[in-house]
Amino acid sequence: MIWDDLRAIQSRHGYLPAEELHALSQHTGTPLYQIHSVASFYPHFRLAPPPKADVRVCMDMSCNLNGACELRQALERRYAGMGPSEVTVREVSCLGRCDHAPAVTVNDQIFSSMSEPTVDLLITRALGGEALEEPHPPHTEATCKSDPYPPDKRYGALRWLLKSKDVDGVLASLKAADLRGMGGAGFSTEMKWSLVRRMDSPEKYIVCNADESEPGTIKDRFIIQHLAYLVAEGMAIAGICTGAKKGIFYIRHEYGHQEHIMKEEVERAYHQGLLGQNIQGSGIDFDLEVFVSPGGYICGEESALIEAIEGHRAEPRNKPPFPGQAGLWQKPTVVNNVETFANVPQILVRGVDWFKSAGLAGTSGLKFVGISGHVVKPGVFEIPMGTPASEVIFRLAGGIRGGKKMKGFAPSGPSSGYLPASMADIRLDFKTLAAAGSMLGSGAMVICDQDTCMLDMALNSVAFFRNESCGKCVPCRVGSQKMVALLHRWTQGGLSEKQFTADRGLIDELSNAMGLASICGLGQIVPAPINSVLKYFEDEVREHALQGTCPSGICHLPGAPAKRAASQRVGINP
Amino acid sequence: MSTLFGTFLGPMVQLTIDGKEVAAPASATIFDAARAHGIPIPTLCHMQNETPVGVCRLCVVEAGGRVLTASCVRQVENGMKVVTNSDRVLAARRTLLEILMSDHPSPCARERQSGDCELEMQARNHGITEIRYPKRYFTRPKDDSSLAIAVDHEACILCDRCIRGCNEIRQNLVLGRMGKGAGAGVAFDLNTPMGESSCISCGECMVSCPTGALTNKRIAGTELPIPAGAVPAEPEDLLELPVFKGVSGTFLEMNKGAIVKRSFHPGDVICREGDFGSTAFYIAEGKAAVSISTPMAHVKTHGGAGGWFSRLTSSLIGRDSDAREEETSQGYIPIDASVDLAYSNPVAELGPGDLFGEMTCMSFYPRSATVKALTDCTMYEMLRNVLDILLKNKSFRARLGKEYKRRALETHLRGVPMFSELSPDFVERLMDNVKLIRLSPGQVICKQGEPADSFYLVRIGFVKVTETYPGGELVIAYLSRGDSFGEIGLLGAGARTATCTALDHVELVKISADDFNAMVDQFPGVRRGLQALADERQRQNAERMAALGTISLDSFLGQGLMEAQSLLVLDLARCTRCDACVRACADAHDGITRLVREGQRFDRYLVATSCRHCKDPLCMVGCPVGSIRRRNSLEVIIEDWCIGCGLCARNCPYGNINLHPFQVMADDPDNPGRRIAMVKQKATSCDLCTEHAEPSCVYACPHDAAHRVDPRKFFSELLGTKV
Repeated sequence: MIWDDLRAIQSRHGYLPAEELHALSQHTGTPLYQIHSVASFYPHFRLAPPPKADVRVCMDMSCNLNGACELRQALERRYAGMGPSEVTVREVSCLGRCDHAPAVTVNDQIFSSMSEPTVDLLITRALGGEALEEPHPPHTEATCKSDPYPPDKRYGALRWLLKSKDVDGVLASLKAADLRGMGGAGFSTEMKWSLVRRMDSPEKYIVCNADESEPGTIKDRFIIQHLAYLVAEGMAIAGICTGAKKGIFYIRHEYGHQEHIMKEEVERAYHQGLLGQNIQGSGIDFDLEVFVSPGGYICGEESALIEAIEGHRAEPRNKPPFPGQAGLWQKPTVVNNVETFANVPQILVRGVDWFKSAGLAGTSGLKFVGISGHVVKPGVFEIPMGTPASEVIFRLAGGIRGGKKMKGFAPSGPSSGYLPASMADIRLDFKTLAAAGSMLGSGAMVICDQDTCMLDMALNSVAFFRNESCGKCVPCRVGSQKMVALLHRWTQGGLSEKQFTADRGLIDELSNAMGLASICGLGQIVPAPINSVLKYFEDEVREHALQGTCPSGICHLPGAPAKRAASQRVGINP
Repeated sequence: MSTLFGTFLGPMVQLTIDGKEVAAPASATIFDAARAHGIPIPTLCHMQNETPVGVCRLCVVEAGGRVLTASCVRQVENGMKVVTNSDRVLAARRTLLEILMSDHPSPCARERQSGDCELEMQARNHGITEIRYPKRYFTRPKDDSSLAIAVDHEACILCDRCIRGCNEIRQNLVLGRMGKGAGAGVAFDLNTPMGESSCISCGECMVSCPTGALTNKRIAGTELPIPAGAVPAEPEDLLELPVFKGVSGTFLEMNKGAIVKRSFHPGDVICREGDFGSTAFYIAEGKAAVSISTPMAHVKTHGGAGGWFSRLTSSLIGRDSDAREEETSQGYIPIDASVDLAYSNPVAELGPGDLFGEMTCMSFYPRSATVKALTDCTMYEMLRNVLDILLKNKSFRARLGKEYKRRALETHLRGVPMFSELSPDFVERLMDNVKLIRLSPGQVICKQGEPADSFYLVRIGFVKVTETYPGGELVIAYLSRGDSFGEIGLLGAGARTATCTALDHVELVKISADDFNAMVDQFPGVRRGLQALADERQRQNAERMAALGTISLDSFLGQGLMEAQSLLVLDLARCTRCDACVRACADAHDGITRLVREGQRFDRYLVATSCRHCKDPLCMVGCPVGSIRRRNSLEVIIEDWCIGCGLCARNCPYGNINLHPFQVMADDPDNPGRRIAMVKQKATSCDLCTEHAEPSCVYACPHDAAHRVDPRKFFSELLGTKV
């Protein structure tokens, strides 16, 4: 496997020296261009020797709201005199530590809740030659309402299915429960599984997408940590229902701790005879392995994820065919989110009626949401589907920090766009949010207080998509770049009314082309942040673009002349 | 991929395209079905001979979904309603073209060359004249390293056509995508410059490229003159030659005029030694003789010991009557063809499939030998860009390698005295195992200190060998055809003792460490010889390193003076710069002065030396027959087969090398078979008249400022130390 080879080389040298890649090409028969095309695609791989302290600051939504921009500026200033072989300070895309922002990596180790002095200390240690190690998260116990089992009765639904082999019954239950994909798109789980079940192929796959990389999204991290057995069980049930004999748990490489927990759980399941060949004498085989992602938000797109498993650049495929028809190794493949799989045993153990009654206002099930940004208690909460957003923000997460008011919030990371505080009572479920032009997505609530610059948040979100675009298709690769350039221009202020109107026309045209012509959801969703901000915060944006007034002072120094000469916002290239 | 006009098209489906009811095979794409029914859909990334990838998104159409679909990848379905020109489609298409154009270096190289950049054409067709989007904040580089193809990444739209051309059509596996997102681009191998990559210049990427990102590189004044008996080579004819197999016909068409088909009759001179040129010849039919017609001799100075008015005379003397110390013992002369010439009889035969003039063509060195037609011949004469295509062609390389191994490898190996004991069957083994590798100017072959893994022979071009010292870098040698290097590292400490760099277009024969080790194991004499050499090299290195602990590189090199036999010193306190010495030297040497009143200064003395044993002996670069080299005492020796081309004299920055004309009898080029008197030249350098009592310059000095001295004695007196 190319990832293992590349990781081995990088761990030996700290980067991928050309001679080693030549040797790899020779002994694996992989052409050089192929090795380079993947090694250069994933930012985790280095093609040049690393500095003694390779510092990368997460700049995305939650970290941006928690001073990442200032932190990076301060670090850049502080280490400006040091050569690139000593210290480099760069940006990195969301590390999945949104509840402990800002997050920073030093020599690939992730540290959260960072400040200038704490990063400084880490850099000093790294410069002294110390091999840093990221802190092990403290062991936490959590009682989840989603867990249908007492500790000694786990895997009950799987045991029952192995005996009864009532696949029709399982699919009927999932359909009746209206279980939908919890990764963002909300596609019917029963339809996905039934499609793969119908496919006539001796080889099929079940893939669990634990690559959550969208800013604000931390719920799968929590679920793996506390309910790994439900996920493994859900995958095995999917295997039995569809005839797939192999499951792959695809986890982002920044989740080292959760990777370890999942591997332990898989081992435990094998040990108990719940995975492997002829499970419990049923004649059914199902193997489960944990696959560590080479990295990148785009790997969360199901066909890109499949490409990554196959050892390629994570570029989404043209659809149709969908993964259910031709997925991993061109075989029928179910790709579901962590939470979706975890929901399956609940429905089977407690019944459809329980599941349907667990949601509020005519919705079904429970939902894990992550909440971060300007709240008192950021974290992951388990709520009934359909709970009003305000309930999570003000009760569970303790409201806005520093006694401030809320200006707006993103119900689910950059993809959902931003809603104003006046819509805080909106119910968190698929239908209600979609009707409001937003989405339930991956339950990644990001909260902005009264002093937030919403234009900056829009730019930040669009820049995230720009940075994470795979670059395969023109609308996304070029369009996201143009959109960042236009928004960057707006943040600098001083536009004429005519220019602003013309730019808005360009944003509309770009939104249209990207939404209609991009290959995958990433390119289609890029315009969402700015369009929502223009919809709900238009006056603020106008004032910003025309007069250059930035409510938070993030776009240029407070009091500085609101012209383009003003200091540019760090971290975002126009 | 899919065509509507195959023999068996499979089941048909019914669909409507722009309201028109049409039938199409179920395996067809919307794009193909529409085109077959006269509805063209614009595209940039799709070519009919490549698997569609659907990345430019220009071909998007309505097919009933929430979003548009790329018609080049989407298969038709029964009952599908396709609209290729809805408002949504047209608006998206326009936007895509406009954002691509906003980053496009318009007019790009292709637009300038032939006015048919597909992007610019599509933009025009869609009425896009004004670009309203800001240009991207970064620029992309140009890559000028290939001789045949110019790369401008700025004009690349990542349509993937070149990549599929390279990997899918030609299966050369060189080009790929690199990077991610806005920073993505195309790359050769490990993002290696094209000319240094494993690219074989088949041209498929370039003919696939819709824009000016990959364009044909036309050399200025690329059209070769077409002499009598020559015709421009037609691409169809060339493609029938095995050596152009796998090359794109379109690419050859673009290079028409850079390759000419020529016919010669017996006795015709095709090229003459010492002439400058810029072409190589490939023999398609017939035989030719390659020879050196210059007398095998060096310049010797006679007489002159009689005093003030006596004149020295120079004449040409061969090895037989005047063996100089340290003349190379090799029995062959390396030339710019696939054969070497024997010293005793410098004539060889070339036949169909042979190539000559490679170095002249690639690096513009003078012709190394004279080539004459023996029979009626058909040859292709070509410029660098076409030769580059030929040299990178897999089948031609295979042939070139085979021929080199058959004709020259053995002489080259045996040219290194310590390899003379190799048995024929071992040479056979080497012939099977060695690899030919190509390097571009400036490419590093091995670095001092790196682990050694192979032994090399130079097939063509010049390799610069340098060693790094605390005070700087010293050029040890310029190696050319027939020379070898790399043995010290393999035998010694396992690391390279010097850095070797390709000076120009270089081809090397690489002998792996395994074969090398087998060789030294099997032949103890070879091992002993190499070991002794390795030990000596390392001892010298250690000495130099020790010496450099206290003095700088320059004064260290100055110490080389001590090793010279004699020195000419000018006492600057007495010298009035009247130049009488220089005139006297010229008078003595048939009017050509060899004295240069410049050199290293020690106290009030100027040391004029025969050779400055420069840190970087430029004189040795480019000698087409490898006849100039350094002695161990660092002075320059010019071997007898010097063809008098004069390159070394031009290259020497100090004018220490002169060309001495002689009248000799030679073949009459205009009347084959007859001999006439001709003027030929030989290179010479000042030898301080060491074979005579006193040099004329010393005689001539009216101020008693010039002296020829014994360096040991002189320096011990001057410096007051005994050496």
